[in-house]
Amino acid sequence: MRAKLAIVAVGLGIILAGTSLRAHHAFAAEFDANRPLTLRGKLVKWLVINPHSWFQLDVTGDDGKVVTWMIEGGSPNQLIRLGVTQKSVQIGGELVVEAYQAKDGSNKAVGKSFTLADGRSLLLGGSAPGAGGDVK
Amino acid sequence: MAKLLRGFGCAAVVGACLVFAGGQVIGQTVTYKAPRLGDGKANINGIWQAMNTANWDIETHQAAAGPILALGAIGAMPGGWGVVEGELPYKPEALAKRNENRANRLKLDPEVKCYLPGVPRDIYMPYPFQIVQSQKYVMLAHEYAGAVRTIYMDNHVEAPAESWMGWSNGHWEGDTLVVDTTGFNDSTWFDRSGNYHSDALHVVERFTPRSAETLTYEATIEDPKVFTRPWKMSMPLYRRVERAAELMEFKCIEFVEDLMYGDVRKPTRP
Amino acid sequence: MTHRLLVTGSGLSVLIAAAWLSATPVSGQSPAGPAAAAKPYKTPRTVDGQPDLQGIWTNQTYTPLQRPANVTKEFYTLDEVLAAEKRAAVREAAVSTPGTTGDVHYSGSEFGLDKSQGTLARSLRTSLIFDPPSGRLPPLSAEGEKRAAAFAEMRKKLGRFDAAQNNELDDRCITTTNAGPPMLPYAYNSNYQIVQAPGYVMILVEMMHHIRMIPLEDRARPPQSVVALTGVSRGRWEGETLVVETTNLNPTTVFGGIDLDAPLDRPAPFRGVSDKLKVTEWFTRIDAESISYKFKVEDPTTWSAPWSAELPMKQTIGPLFEHACHEGNFGLYNTLRGARAEEEKAAAGEKKPN
Repeated sequence: MRAKLAIVAVGLGIILAGTSLRAHHAFAAEFDANRPLTLRGKLVKWLVINPHSWFQLDVTGDDGKVVTWMIEGGSPNQLIRLGVTQKSVQIGGELVVEAYQAKDGSNKAVGKSFTLADGRSLLLGGSAPGAGGDVK
Repeated sequence: MAKLLRGFGCAAVVGACLVFAGGQVIGQTVTYKAPRLGDGKANINGIWQAMNTANWDIETHQAAAGPILALGAIGAMPGGWGVVEGELPYKPEALAKRNENRANRLKLDPEVKCYLPGVPRDIYMPYPFQIVQSQKYVMLAHEYAGAVRTIYMDNHVEAPAESWMGWSNGHWEGDTLVVDTTGFNDSTWFDRSGNYHSDALHVVERFTPRSAETLTYEATIEDPKVFTRPWKMSMPLYRRVERAAELMEFKCIEFVEDLMYGDVRKPTRP
Repeated sequence: MTHRLLVTGSGLSVLIAAAWLSATPVSGQSPAGPAAAAKPYKTPRTVDGQPDLQGIWTNQTYTPLQRPANVTKEFYTLDEVLAAEKRAAVREAAVSTPGTTGDVHYSGSEFGLDKSQGTLARSLRTSLIFDPPSGRLPPLSAEGEKRAAAFAEMRKKLGRFDAAQNNELDDRCITTTNAGPPMLPYAYNSNYQIVQAPGYVMILVEMMHHIRMIPLEDRARPPQSVVALTGVSRGRWEGETLVVETTNLNPTTVFGGIDLDAPLDRPAPFRGVSDKLKVTEWFTRIDAESISYKFKVEDPTTWSAPWSAELPMKQTIGPLFEHACHEGNFGLYNTLRGARAEEEKAAAGEKKPN
């Protein structure tokens, strides 16, 4: 039997759909837990695609050179239902991204959080306590 | 009557006057009245398929050898009459890009990778598709790659983001389903011959019952980044009349994984 | 499309829960028919006279497929379920620990993908499975055990990141568990668009835009050797209930299995499921916002007995957005490339003279 179906769920609230656990593993294979980054740059574009959306961030180094980073995020579908669209997202402003770099060393990362310069989340609530949020 | 129509092109007579690309007229005024759905609209439910070579090349083309020697005649391109009215009005630099696409189509044609076909290519892919017609939605379910289009029949809104199949808003004009689609990305082609578009693509389609077993399909394509003016294509669509016609599955991802991911596959130890 | 209020874990959802309670989940094995309700619900009709199931639905839930080991009852109370949902919401919003594997991920909360941020198809059941009455899968048959063991052996030899084909079907963008049948919830975007026309019910699964086309006619089925990801379905109306029988499922893909480079004309047996698998589903609209969804899984060469489960579907906000997964699947390529990069680094390290 599929391992996830045979999981003995103890108590309430154990999420059945183990795909989220597998997805964790896939990300941990694509990106390096030992290479955390804080990227600060200009949000140039939000690629509103599946299975994961991507954020293009232009980061200016101390040497003045601009490096383009592609940062992987989540599926945009529920955001769209909540009114966050390609046009409504704040493009062009400064963005701070907590991320983990790709294992192949390229300028790619997975974005753990996407925050505007004023501390608000670019998208929804986010994990910062007290941050504004979605419908709750 | 038919002679008159050929002479004068699309005269304003009762019903539609249909002229096809390359000057081929399928002829007379359409007087066919389709059966009704319970809501009074023409019933265009069914499994439909184009029968032409538009997916090879939407312009008139001769037969030609294919790019894979081992496929022989199977991989060759058949000749066919175009479905486009007049010539494709490319801007000069866009035409150059079309020709470059064509020269590199094995690498660049999204169909090779089992990618979604976009619009209007989904209509004339060499696979059947099914129209599931309801009131709030008319669905196009494609056998090819399980592509699907939702045509929103009410509460029309703008596309929330770009997509491969675009965002379709539809309404009825008499017995014609009119579908207005925008919100495309720039990743699809119109055929296997490199004809392409930008993200400014705007397609207006008209599906009109022509007989119990045929629809007339017309599409007006507009893309100011690529073409100097809008242009039209048209073709009949044929009903799959087999008693138990049913879409088969053509989920082609497994057929292309070695092609797409082969270069990052772990080499086997000697 | 109409945009409804997002139903979440408080306030409004309590009202929804009350409505759901009044249509108490039917226990036991009887599959069809609307449950007892405070006011009898009359399902509207489509223009061609079918009971109307149309709309946008979700089956997202916290209820596990199998009953937890420490639970014996069949139903929780509403209070117990609400408390569990609150705890889950806290857990989902929590910050993961930096530097851990779990932290190498986007935040579901930022993208609205946590279960607690969307409509919940809440069930008071302690497990989706209601038959066997234990709430757990029946034991595998001897043959089923053998096949499962053989599969596990094969699986051990395959490195997940050696090739695209060694990955899960959802990572390869081929299909998801929630396309089914049976349609079990996916981690997020577990949404469905149901559209009906004369002679057909079409279910569009949002994830990977999967189409389930259900003709309302008992046509001949293809031979067993011809399979499809969601099988071949035949439906019929029994009063207010849509009964769908599906065969010709691909044994390597049911329940999201892994294809092991099997030749297309002979899919390799997948951990216990055979090509004899048959899934029966019952869809009944029980109120404006709810569909009762029950299914039965039969595979006499795999399980010692058929098993059945029930999970509600709740109306949710639309629209569905194109889930062009394969077209955007850069992650799979990047992951494989990263694995090759690490191997090359390791090999280069080995080659260094001491």
